Amino acid sequence: MSTISLLDTRPAAPAQADVAFYDPPMCCPTGLCGPALDQTLLDTNELVLDLKARGLHVERYQMIGSPQAFLANPEVMRLVRALNMAALPITAVRGVVIRSGAYPTRAEVEAALDGGAA
Amino acid sequence: MTHFRFFSGKGGVGKTSMACTTAVHHADSGRRTLIVTTDPASNLGDVFAQPIGHAITPITGVPNLFAMEIDADQATQEYIDHAMAPIRAAFPPQIVAVMEEQMSGPCTAEVAAFDRFTDFIDVPSDGGGAFDVVIFDTAPTGHTLRLIALPVEWTRSIDAAEQGSGQTCIGPTAAIQDAKHKYERAVAIMRDPAATTFTFVLQPEATSLRETRRAMGELHTLGITSQDLIVNAVIPAAEAANPLFAARRAMQQDYLAQIAHALPLPTQQMPLLSGEITGVERLRAVAGLLFAGDATDPLTPALSQGARVSDLSSPAGRGAGGEDSNNDLAAILPRLLPDAGRRTIFFAGKGGVGKTVASCVTAVWLARQGFRTLLLTTDPAAHLGDVLGVPVGDSVAPVPGVPNLSATKIDPQAAGAAYKARILADARARGRSAESIAVMQEELDSPCTEEIAAFDLFIDYAAQDAWDVIVFDTAPTGHTLRMLELPMDWSQQLDVKVFASVDGAAADDVAKARFAGVIAMMRDPRQSTFAFVLYPEATPILEAARAVEELATLGLRPGLVVANYVLPVDADATPFGRARRAMQARYLAELPVRFAAPVLRIPLLTHEVQGLDVLTALGAQLYGYVEVPQ
Repeated sequence: MSTISLLDTRPAAPAQADVAFYDPPMCCPTGLCGPALDQTLLDTNELVLDLKARGLHVERYQMIGSPQAFLANPEVMRLVRALNMAALPITAVRGVVIRSGAYPTRAEVEAALDGGAA
Repeated sequence: MTHFRFFSGKGGVGKTSMACTTAVHHADSGRRTLIVTTDPASNLGDVFAQPIGHAITPITGVPNLFAMEIDADQATQEYIDHAMAPIRAAFPPQIVAVMEEQMSGPCTAEVAAFDRFTDFIDVPSDGGGAFDVVIFDTAPTGHTLRLIALPVEWTRSIDAAEQGSGQTCIGPTAAIQDAKHKYERAVAIMRDPAATTFTFVLQPEATSLRETRRAMGELHTLGITSQDLIVNAVIPAAEAANPLFAARRAMQQDYLAQIAHALPLPTQQMPLLSGEITGVERLRAVAGLLFAGDATDPLTPALSQGARVSDLSSPAGRGAGGEDSNNDLAAILPRLLPDAGRRTIFFAGKGGVGKTVASCVTAVWLARQGFRTLLLTTDPAAHLGDVLGVPVGDSVAPVPGVPNLSATKIDPQAAGAAYKARILADARARGRSAESIAVMQEELDSPCTEEIAAFDLFIDYAAQDAWDVIVFDTAPTGHTLRMLELPMDWSQQLDVKVFASVDGAAADDVAKARFAGVIAMMRDPRQSTFAFVLYPEATPILEAARAVEELATLGLRPGLVVANYVLPVDADATPFGRARRAMQARYLAELPVRFAAPVLRIPLLTHEVQGLDVLTALGAQLYGYVEVPQ
């Protein structure tokens, strides 16, 4: 009814994201409702806004809402099965995992985007 | 077109009875009528004297009437199972466990309940055609408002999420996106006076009047304006012969005038009846009274004496009620006095059961015994100041006239605003971009922020050493439970937070230690007492029992039951008074067994409990005096 089923056989994402973030579970929007403001999450949020402003396709996925996005990337699932929660967050640039266990820096994302374009 | 009618009001004001009475009236007038309850303590089955349950059920003896009870727990579980199915199938067990913890958070139950509720707005049909009237016997005020406020907040959260990070407080983002049109439709229908009426049930007394006003104001700000009133439990004129009721009737008449003045809306009056409203025949008689008669009708007392006269002669109907001043202090006082260090007393119960009075009497008494006492409330409808007769503010201040007593209130809205301001100021100080601030601002409007901020403040107070006793006049039950559940869930969630930021992680450790301390304190019966306030009638007892059950799953047990509004022997002066006292006696007799805790009885007084002198006198009457080592 109102949740996504795995048995839904329609193709997952219509187009692969330029940058995809596979986020850890968070209790509230961007984790801001927690007892401390997390600067890394804010950095990441600003990075997302900037990338989108440049016309790039950026997605953020949480397991509970988008399990099929995790399943669609074999490397993401391999990391999740091997390391469990410690694997998250995972960042992929055009489908290739560039960082696991922590959010990437802006420079890391830019480098991967440049590398992918070259 | 289907007309929707929502019944709103505090637990125990007679909302279910009035909703059922109205439903019978509409059905008997030839309209196809459905009555739905979303109240966790629902007792539609008791009122109609037939099993109902989780399906649209025809009511025997009323051809056009159907009823359904939405089981909140079942709806929540179904919702969780549905969302978890793909996760369980594909992810490793540790991840599944984390997801399940996340889904067991306070938001999920509300999402599930609201989801079921919007289903009824969309498809009010039993297969035999649409209903002319759909009546919602909704949950009591605080919860109702939240339920109704949610779609509006959610719409905003969803919009923010779309522009922003793609995350919302509610867990499964995709689920909300999918349901968005449903929620918008629900809100639109609630705002349409041609489609919807909100009926507020209240009693002619101060708390009820104040809370109704507040609830109406909140609905108005949500754009919901079609409202009317039922004033219930008006003492019949003929009962002025009974001195106990005469004084209360005079007080009620005063409030009726205030209600007419302050809430100028279409108003129906319902007299106080001597017995409970059960069975179709009695519902029809009561409907006649509600829709045709008025409270001053000379026939009223005859009707109100109608049911259950046989109870008068039952042995249980005699004894118990007469012992109203014989409280077992040897059992009760150890639950209130400090034992190992400081004692924290939580008064739990639905609005209107007399929680604030119970907590004020107890706090004043404890302070008078020489204990340094802090009285505080987290109830958004707080009226501590009214009961104490002195102003109570947002910071701790001594109560003039009672040495050792201080009081304060935690206003969740104010706490949420302060919390939000602090977060945003910090972000600005760190040079965050305007876009980033805007996203944060939107997302901090989530329903969780206020509760977390209020709880954070509560922990601050709970950690202070300046007090021998802290007395909490807690928020209404559902809200309280979420607040109490929060630290447990939260500390579990903190375990799974893997954010890289160093100061974030350090702050999490500090927060975790704080929560662990509070949880341990709440679970230790030598340090904490949960006192459940109710009055001796079916609905308040069921609601309290349910709250006790939920607390038990958190390892918390009731330390005390407070039975309020217990009729004194004087009530026996008239048959009406005797019948009501017999009814109370049956319920009082079951309390000690049902709750496995000592029972403190507070008598029904002819006047409202207000001011320090009255509180001091009542405290002495209830608790007496004890020797306190200084």
